[in-house]
Amino acid sequence: MPIEALLLALQHGDSAFPSGGFAFSWGLEELVNDGWISGEADISAFLADLLANRWHGFDRVALARAHEAPDLDALAGIDRAVEIATWAAPMRAGSRRAGRALLGVHARLSGGPVADYRALVDVDGELGHLPVVQGLVWRTAGLDRNSSELLSAWTMAQGIAAAGLRLGLIGHLSAQTVLTAARATIARLAAVSPPADLTAFTPVADVALSRHARRDARLFAT
Amino acid sequence: MNAPALSPATPAKTAPAARVGIGGPVGSGKTALVERLIAAFAARKVDLAVITNDLVTHEDAERVRRSGLIDPARVSAVEAGACPHTVIREDPTLNIEAADDLERRFPGVELILIESGGDNLASTFSRDLTDFWIFVIDVAGGDDIPRKRGPGVLKCDLLVINKADLAPHVGVDLDGMIAEARRVRAGRPVIVTNCRRSEGIDAVADHLEREVLFRT
Repeated sequence: MPIEALLLALQHGDSAFPSGGFAFSWGLEELVNDGWISGEADISAFLADLLANRWHGFDRVALARAHEAPDLDALAGIDRAVEIATWAAPMRAGSRRAGRALLGVHARLSGGPVADYRALVDVDGELGHLPVVQGLVWRTAGLDRNSSELLSAWTMAQGIAAAGLRLGLIGHLSAQTVLTAARATIARLAAVSPPADLTAFTPVADVALSRHARRDARLFAT
Repeated sequence: MNAPALSPATPAKTAPAARVGIGGPVGSGKTALVERLIAAFAARKVDLAVITNDLVTHEDAERVRRSGLIDPARVSAVEAGACPHTVIREDPTLNIEAADDLERRFPGVELILIESGGDNLASTFSRDLTDFWIFVIDVAGGDDIPRKRGPGVLKCDLLVINKADLAPHVGVDLDGMIAEARRVRAGRPVIVTNCRRSEGIDAVADHLEREVLFRT
């Protein structure tokens, strides 16, 4: 990998890159509160499920399509497909909120088509889903499709491990063990072609996320 | 990528709202200050909105919404993901989104108050999030707080020392505390308040009108 490309990926995959992602637990907080998840092995299993049954067949597919979208019309079409294919309303809302946050940062940083899409998303409540925005902003930043897919999986893994740490479930060393396991899972999945259509099945996370949305006392947005 | 084929509706051009952060330790009176400022700015005909960053619940947002002082739709709550520092400094993205959303929904809003979750003396606001920020401490926290030189006390644009009325009850030398605060801040603004009785609130509102809204 050329040095410049590696540095680019490091910058955009860095947990310090401002995207609001640290405030999303994607159902983990609720599963912890309900006693379903209580340690490193549980978090690793939860994350492996998300990677295999959401990222690989859904986020990755939407991101790849967005990365190759010829214009903003096509991009909006992919965004709407994600909206339709995400059955839990809180999941849709979380995906849009996380996507819009990332889009807002890149619109300010780079302007151009990203800012144009941000203007479109501002007036259309169905647009702005995270994987679609990732495809747009990372392509605009100069990341190729493969790198963008891997960054998407990595930010998911990093976010879950960090949430587990802040929920008091694991320590800083255990978080790295979780990430090491996730790295192997991502590598295995990345070597396999994703399905042709948007495909996700994470009922435990979806139900947890829906329950979480009704909870008043919570640390995380999802 | 090509120019967008879909044309977003262009909202009427208005000046962006000034964004003012309010941070400080837990229990120092940030929400009380926000409530008093809402009333003060309503009297001054300032178009206002509020964002709260509660740590765990939406309690502060609900308290402000139910105050009867402001349209509840003008109060947004942002979750901090257990990182009250991060959400106002290293990664204030969600607060910026919430502020942008308020500006879209309420064109003409002039001032957005962003209340941080209760934190410690180290919290500071990103300059990309706020145009101006206030740090609130209180006398009951001890008169040695300014001397500890926390970044919040030193770097804020305006330091508010709240609960002035409690000084004699908690053994605090208020005059000494104010002098120490002015000394460590090298003469930068310090205002003393008693939010429960609305004392000092006009001085804070005057300061914001002059320094942030440029109304003089």
